[in-house]
Amino acid sequence: MLEQVLAQPGRAAEVSGSTPKVAVLGAGNWGTTVAHLIGLNGFPVWLWARSAELCSEINATHQNSRYLAGLALSPNIRATDDLEQAVRDVDLMFLVIPSQGFRSVCCDLGPLVRPQQIGVHATKGLELGSHKRMSEILLEETCLRQHGVLSGPNIAREICEGKPAGTVMASHFPRVIQRATELLRSKQMRVYANTDVVGVELAGTLKNIIAIAAGMATEMKLGDNAKSLLITRGLSEIARLGVALGADPMTFSGVAGIGDLLVTCASPLSRNNRVGAALARGESLDQAIAALGMVAEGVKAAKIAYELTNTLGLRSPLMHGVYKVVHEQLDPRVALRELMTGATQDDIDPSLFQPADSGPGRGRP
Amino acid sequence: MLDAERIAQIVAEVTSRIVARVGEGQALTETLNETLWWEHERLAKLGDDDQTLAEREFYSDLRRQLPRVSEREQVRLLQQVVHRYAEEIAGHGAGGPGSGPQGHGLPRLRRAPGFSPTAYKLATRVGPPLLSTLLTGLSPRRLLDREAIPKLDQHLRIAGDVHALTRLHERGTLVLAPTHTSNLDSLVLGFAIDKLGLPPLTYGAALNLFGNPLIGRFMANLGGYTVDRRKHDPLYKQTLKEYATVSLEFGQSNLYFPAGGRSRSGAIERRLKKGLLGCSSAAFRNNLVHGRANPRVFVIPCTISYPLVLEASTLIDDWLADAGKARYIIVDDEFSRWERWRDYLRGLLSLDLDIHIRFGQPLDSLGNPVDDEGVSHDPRGRPIDPAGYLEVDGKLCEDPVRDAEYTRELERRILAEFRRENVIHSTHVLAFACFELVRRRRPELDLYRLLGSIGNEQSLGLPEVEDELALVLAELREWARHDRIRLSDTVASAELGEFVRAALRNFGTYHHRPVVERRGIRLHIGDAKLLFYYRNRLDGYGLRGAPTLVHDRRGANHA
Repeated sequence: MLEQVLAQPGRAAEVSGSTPKVAVLGAGNWGTTVAHLIGLNGFPVWLWARSAELCSEINATHQNSRYLAGLALSPNIRATDDLEQAVRDVDLMFLVIPSQGFRSVCCDLGPLVRPQQIGVHATKGLELGSHKRMSEILLEETCLRQHGVLSGPNIAREICEGKPAGTVMASHFPRVIQRATELLRSKQMRVYANTDVVGVELAGTLKNIIAIAAGMATEMKLGDNAKSLLITRGLSEIARLGVALGADPMTFSGVAGIGDLLVTCASPLSRNNRVGAALARGESLDQAIAALGMVAEGVKAAKIAYELTNTLGLRSPLMHGVYKVVHEQLDPRVALRELMTGATQDDIDPSLFQPADSGPGRGRP
Repeated sequence: MLDAERIAQIVAEVTSRIVARVGEGQALTETLNETLWWEHERLAKLGDDDQTLAEREFYSDLRRQLPRVSEREQVRLLQQVVHRYAEEIAGHGAGGPGSGPQGHGLPRLRRAPGFSPTAYKLATRVGPPLLSTLLTGLSPRRLLDREAIPKLDQHLRIAGDVHALTRLHERGTLVLAPTHTSNLDSLVLGFAIDKLGLPPLTYGAALNLFGNPLIGRFMANLGGYTVDRRKHDPLYKQTLKEYATVSLEFGQSNLYFPAGGRSRSGAIERRLKKGLLGCSSAAFRNNLVHGRANPRVFVIPCTISYPLVLEASTLIDDWLADAGKARYIIVDDEFSRWERWRDYLRGLLSLDLDIHIRFGQPLDSLGNPVDDEGVSHDPRGRPIDPAGYLEVDGKLCEDPVRDAEYTRELERRILAEFRRENVIHSTHVLAFACFELVRRRRPELDLYRLLGSIGNEQSLGLPEVEDELALVLAELREWARHDRIRLSDTVASAELGEFVRAALRNFGTYHHRPVVERRGIRLHIGDAKLLFYYRNRLDGYGLRGAPTLVHDRRGANHA
């Protein structure tokens, strides 16, 4: 029903036969959804996946049974396992690759892309070891300098069901925001612009850690007061680390900040939420991840945030608690006790009133 | 170099572009009113010399006319204002009185002679080298003793890929972007450029330098154009940027100090002025749009590193005075006092100290690295066509926000080159080690208290300093092996005892009191502020785990 109300009347008629001018790289649950949204808007779109079988399935049956079973994908999607074919003639590409595989795809992309093209990533994570953001990796490995990030409260499954949602498109380049928005916006999807690339990337990454904690809290039946406390204090920690890394504090009160955090903490569909719940039930991390069958970015993000906050000397009891539960097998109940007995800080952190340094570089000293 | 005729063409082109950009109607009236306001503000602070009186007359005349004239007449008024600004920038005419009425009763600035090939040749090629010509020319006998007449060319060490400069110059227009430490920089560079066989560069220099009694005439004759930092009128700034852009489009290679002024703290630049920097991408784009031959503009980051800095005392005092209260333009510093020059040059020459000039990785106007052939590369060294960054659907298009982002990247790359091509002298290392020892001893003090706490009798045991120096040198030499920083010969290879002697000798040379001095087995700190100044050349590298003490402060970096 909802689908019928919200679905955009296909603009595909006159263009569906032509060569796609846009590609989505990565056919996981979110990548497939992004391609589907673009397809529904009437634009032919390349969807690149490593797996040839997955590509044949999508092209033959318009299904992605591994990640989005049961969903009929837009016929405007053309799947390919040939990266060169996917990006050769497009003017914009979305990169929707898990954070730890992001650099290797960028390496492959390097020789194939041109300065005219636009790269937008929708990956919520940082690189292990280097702590680099995805846009930094993109800039290191390719000539795609006109770049941006897509992030927001987007549960793929809900969007595929045609339910309304909003997302954030952040870039320093107005044309990047404009082009990506043209492709994505519909009666179902609102796209909000932001120029704080660093903030939007970090908000999307760090909220996954809090989501793990929220999953634990739900499983442990701590109640709604506790959940609310978790979200607000979690946001405060995210913002503190974000600002220290060059983000604009206001970003964290927007759709990509509190918006994304709320949905991940509330929805049982959220992957990181499910990992947290499994850990609270006493399952091991490996079991929890295996049951999920997908990447839960919060697991790696917890480790990276732990290292970063230690390096920067920032107080982050919540994120540290999650790190210890996930990576050091601390009992979630002990972690909770530690959190409740720790010293309280001011409600509003004064450091967040300092606007981000608008100086050179991309937010990292 | 541009002759008077070319300069007149540039002025005309700049004027017509700005007038076209301002447009008509509301915007036109507002622009003129804004100019009146800013110029009134500026002129109100000045005295009653002929120049100021003439300018006041010009603007009161404009004020009287403005409400009465038609829109077409307003365009003409704007044209006069912009033309006046452009002429001043081109011809440094601000030094002369208004030369009487022109056109509709508005006085016009006197046209200065512009670049003089004879003066340039004299200064750089013929007879004694640049500085001696300059100095003896200004004050024949009394300025320098005969034996001290500097053979400065022997004290310049030019390094980096200098051959790339000549090759790139054949393939496009150059923008030389040096660090800015001292007012000596432009002279030293002018000399180096000539030595490398490159044609002279045009450059923007602060108006106050043209008024400097020692080098003013010389600067004007070298083809500099003036930048008057007291003018806050946005129209003036637009005119200035357009002047730089058009001169690049005319194929005139430029020299900018992208920091906008000398480093007050002694540290390597942390932030650059994007306005002038952005002219290189604007010129590149305009060249492409007009299908000009050799459209490319190459930006060459370059560092100039002095073992001792002529104006060190004034600069660090200014930095330490609260940044907000910093004197905007320093007029009376060591640079305008001939005794200081003499002492400085004598010191430099008697000790065989070298000034290092290093040319870093050449960049295209959007910040991509370029090779010797002028081909731009992506971050992994694959050739790319930078014009693509300016195209939408195969067409070149104008997008100021996009270009500003490219300019920020250009800034970032230049700053990285500055950091890497920074040549460290023994004075910097000794100052750093001593300062670190003092700072570690008093971790509770903030910078100002720390500097205040270093009294005349503050001293450090030589063995303690030597231990620290050994560690500092080891780390620096390791970095130098990985091209993270550059070292002077002494810093690179002298053994410890020899190093300490050299550093102390240098510090004992020029400054009123030796910055660090040996008495027996102790080293005494003679000037805490200068110790801090010289130490700052190594600030921000995290050397020996030291914190960054010089934070970027907007406005702390002028003139």
